[in-house]
Amino acid sequence: MRDQLKASARSGLIFGVVIIFLMLFGLTKTLSDILGELFNLQSITRTGNSGGLMLLFALLAWWAGSRAAKEDKENWKAVLRNGAVSGLVIGSITALFTFLVGSLDGADIEMRTYLAQLDRPSVQFLLYGRSIIAGALMTFFIFLIFNLVGALASYILETRHAGGYLQKKYLQIKDRISGTSIVVRYKEHPQSKWIGYGILLAGTLLMPQFLGKYWNYAMGTVGIYVIMGLGLNIVVGLAGLLDLGYVAFFAIGAYTVGLLTAPAPIPIQWSFWPVLVISILLAAFAGILLGIPVLRMRGDYLAIVTLGFGEIIRVLIRSDMMSPYLGGPQGVRDIGGPSLFGISLSNERAYLYLIILGILLAILLTNFLQKSRVGRAWMAMREDETVAQAMGINTLYYKLMAFATGAAFAGFGGVLFAARNQYTGPADHTLMVSINVLSLLIVGGMGSIPGVMIGAFVLKGLPEVLRELDIYRLLVFGALLVIMMIIRPEGIWPAPRRRMELHESGLEEIPPDESLIGEEG
Amino acid sequence: MAMLEVKDIHTYYGNIHALKGISLTVEENEIVTLIGGNGAGKTTTLRTISGLIHPRSGEVFFEGEKITETPAHELVYKGITMVPEGRGIFARLTVFENLDMGAYSQPDRSNFNDDLERVFQLFPRLKERRSQVAGTLSGGEQQMLATARALMARPRLMLMDEPSMGLAPILVESVFETIVEINKSGTTILLVEQNAMVALSVADRGYVLQTGEIVLRDTAENLRQNEMVQKAYLGIE
Ligand SMILES: Nc1ncnc2c1ncn2[C@@H]1O[C@H](COP(=O)(O)OP(=O)(O)O)[C@@H](O)[C@H]1O
Ligand SMILES: [Mg+2]
Repeated sequence: MRDQLKASARSGLIFGVVIIFLMLFGLTKTLSDILGELFNLQSITRTGNSGGLMLLFALLAWWAGSRAAKEDKENWKAVLRNGAVSGLVIGSITALFTFLVGSLDGADIEMRTYLAQLDRPSVQFLLYGRSIIAGALMTFFIFLIFNLVGALASYILETRHAGGYLQKKYLQIKDRISGTSIVVRYKEHPQSKWIGYGILLAGTLLMPQFLGKYWNYAMGTVGIYVIMGLGLNIVVGLAGLLDLGYVAFFAIGAYTVGLLTAPAPIPIQWSFWPVLVISILLAAFAGILLGIPVLRMRGDYLAIVTLGFGEIIRVLIRSDMMSPYLGGPQGVRDIGGPSLFGISLSNERAYLYLIILGILLAILLTNFLQKSRVGRAWMAMREDETVAQAMGINTLYYKLMAFATGAAFAGFGGVLFAARNQYTGPADHTLMVSINVLSLLIVGGMGSIPGVMIGAFVLKGLPEVLRELDIYRLLVFGALLVIMMIIRPEGIWPAPRRRMELHESGLEEIPPDESLIGEEG
Repeated sequence: MAMLEVKDIHTYYGNIHALKGISLTVEENEIVTLIGGNGAGKTTTLRTISGLIHPRSGEVFFEGEKITETPAHELVYKGITMVPEGRGIFARLTVFENLDMGAYSQPDRSNFNDDLERVFQLFPRLKERRSQVAGTLSGGEQQMLATARALMARPRLMLMDEPSMGLAPILVESVFETIVEINKSGTTILLVEQNAMVALSVADRGYVLQTGEIVLRDTAENLRQNEMVQKAYLGIE
């Protein structure tokens, strides 16, 4: 029992620290606003949606509670006890934090100088627009109560399988489709996939000719996300490293092209192509630099540290301190675009072609890496890191390689994004970018190239198609993601049973289309 | 000169003093066993030798070369391979792919087919199941696979962590028969076991480990006759 309580307290501590971290970097505000908007919540404060904040804390507490409940799911007393300990720990430290921040603000100490996010309105927001004591107490009780609720809920849900029914239905439909003659005939002639690829490529190359300005731009955005998705796919899908700060490398790409081609804030105006190369290399280098200390950590910690790195970059580019060099909140204007033989390529259609070219390169590179020794090393690492080492795989080296390659892709995406808009600023580089890229991997199918493309289209293209729905799209995506996780945990188009092509002899006997469902569902 | 020489190693997990001065040697072509109860430090000893954790003090030598600080992934190139506790097979890959991973350290692919033939001869069951996903194999087959995968790296010294774990007695017997066979064809073996009975029946020499310390060392034959060993590990009153 003591071990359980210790574990719950520890999990509470980690949650608490992460939440304080979110508050410090103003993330709570973003998330609260999204929640507030989604659920139409009342707000007393103007900086952020205070109703959304309560909901956010309640959800986080729920999550923490259900994690604490995992310590012993059989016994409801233990579940409540663990939930309470976790809630007490999170509640106390977050309440203490808001109390401290409130008091410092009350004492007229300008925290803003140190932390751009903690100005007076933000502090008011963190206290829900109430007094210091009332705000801190409220935080405390929200965390305590919803930890208990979360713990109890996971105890009650434990025996049921909400996903079971949906998944059965889905499998039935799938069977029916794969039984139809066209699918069967396709499977009998695997070579026909090359014809399929050919048609797809031709269609892709022709597409920009038939699209207008607006759609070329929209598809360009989808394409940039495909490139970034392919990069994160290497990091998360192939190497198995959870990187939540992917936006950092996107930002490095965008700002490098910005600073080196725009007239201000740094009066260097080089031409696009060399700067493109520099930007990509710089992003990869940043990946290695971050990777060296961070990649020794495992799972959870890696996620938190990378998340922090992303936020640090965003805070840096926003800060007044760096504004003479990085442009501050105003960002960088008049970013130069590419030209070829004196012809400017700064139009939507040319950019779309450039992006398509980038995607093709990215696909070729991913394919090459995946089928080489590197791909085998990644696969072994993802399966079991210790055993991979025992097989002679230098895991740190291959992790760095994945991290740097992923960063390079993100940097490339950043360059294209910034150059195309001829502008980049802090608002382009929020956590939402990382979340979007990760979501598209989850939706499309981790580890699979077609999955990345489908995911990017679903997340970045569909919203354009369904533009009128606007506010509801977040809701729709949320629902989509949840349904996705239940019926098809491996994504729309998963990697063909995580295997690689080593020897023709070994491959022949592998059933060609075996999905992961049986294993994971 | 002993093939493997472990000199007074102290290994910690944070504050937990897991190994309190372990010394042992393994001569070429021997089977040496390290027996001890749960939590005695057997796995920790293997992890320390194989470089997955480094001791706070003490030294490890392999064929005269100091490998105390050598990272785990380099050892396989020197000739040491581990069959990890709980087998550690790549559950989502096929049997063949697992074996191929085992040969990762072998730059010369021309040996691959010969090596494959050799392990298939040793474990005909694996040949039958070469394209089956490893996670669907039975416990005994998984142990075969883990052993075969280690052999693909052409080790001179093989470290085995509780190969009998979770296996029915009849399977245990066949696993140990294979271990002897592997040893006869020239691979030295350091075998960690809780199942002292079988381990001592195949080993040349043995060490008895208790809470991080070696309390007995002798030939396997003598250890089997030892009263304390009989009481504590062989279930003989
Ligand atoms: N990762 C770890 N962290 C902390 N303590 C550990 C860890 N692994 C093992 N220990 C402790 O070290 C001691 C030896 O463990 P181990 O080497 O696994 O024993 P054995 O393999 O003989 O069962 C035990 O007391 C165990 O609790
Ligand atoms: Mg052990």
